[in-house]
Amino acid sequence: MAKLRIQFENGDPEKVIEFDPAKAPFHHDGKPGSILDVMLGHGVHLEHACGGNCACTTCHVIVKQGFNKLGESSEQEEDLLDKAPGLTPTSRLGCQAVIEDPDAEIVIVVPRYTINQVSEAAEE
Amino acid sequence: MTGEPSPASAGKRTTLNARVERLFDHATDTRSLFLSLASGKHLRFIPGQFISITIPLGDETRSRPYSIASDPENRGPFEICFNRVEGGRGVAWLFERRVGDTFDFSGPFGAFTIDRAPEAELCFIAEGTAIAPIRPMLKRALASSPAPKIHLIYAAPDHEHILYAAELNALARTADFSYETAIKPPEQIYDALFALAQARWVTRDANRTRHFYICGVGKGVIRLRDLLRGAGYERRSVHYEQW
Repeated sequence: MAKLRIQFENGDPEKVIEFDPAKAPFHHDGKPGSILDVMLGHGVHLEHACGGNCACTTCHVIVKQGFNKLGESSEQEEDLLDKAPGLTPTSRLGCQAVIEDPDAEIVIVVPRYTINQVSEAAEE
Repeated sequence: MTGEPSPASAGKRTTLNARVERLFDHATDTRSLFLSLASGKHLRFIPGQFISITIPLGDETRSRPYSIASDPENRGPFEICFNRVEGGRGVAWLFERRVGDTFDFSGPFGAFTIDRAPEAELCFIAEGTAIAPIRPMLKRALASSPAPKIHLIYAAPDHEHILYAAELNALARTADFSYETAIKPPEQIYDALFALAQARWVTRDANRTRHFYICGVGKGVIRLRDLLRGAGYERRSVHYEQW
């Protein structure tokens, strides 16, 4: 079983998901077997304003462990990541980063901020 | 304009509530909804951004993105524009909305934007309803001082699906803006856009300072990106949003 450990920069409690990558998709948004797909399919929220179609950066995650176990990023994902606040060398879009290895142990951090102007700040 | 980003990792996204103020059918399969905030306030956004609408489908809800087609400077209702697609349950639900209906959304989102026009020739490429994010970007660029030279290539299967044609014509008469349309069957639209982009911006001259904003559906958008970057335009001068 693969393991995905999720830490939240905003202090929410850590979540751990154990899953069989061969059973993907787990949800209907994001690439099948992606971090977004795994999280949503196991009841853990990750923002994905564009529906998980690699058209925004709201599912930006920082991979702390297991970066090399993820499927390669596309030029389109890299273009979008360029615009993600808090970009790091191990940043990925959750909707695009696929976990295929059944023995993978991935640790990610969901950053505090994203390009998300939701809130009273969106109204004036 | 960009403001302070807000927390993304909270368990639930913050939602706003919109009321349908008006419908407009561009064609039998293409509609605009004009929306106001239930709070009575004005939605702040950057030209090119989208909202993510919460759509109930059976026992669950899905979030689906819709570009804002109107200008942020317009103090009236803001506009989203969409067309029917085969199997598109979310858009089918939107087509059922009537004046007075309300629904939740979050946003605005997105980095495919123009807040301030670059000091370079600006080239837009769009097809069908993908003109939606381009329209406010185009207007923001034209309102810049000095406004850059701007050209739009816009493709659709027929003239009825060239949206905002009267407005584009009016802009072309009064500003340093030109546009051309390609009317082609759906399966030939990206070949036409590719050929036009190649002729205008790849083979005609050696100028590689232009900035591009491409919006459309599917892999054709990526072909256009690769054409332009492959021709020597800077990676960060070729912006695109693939639906």
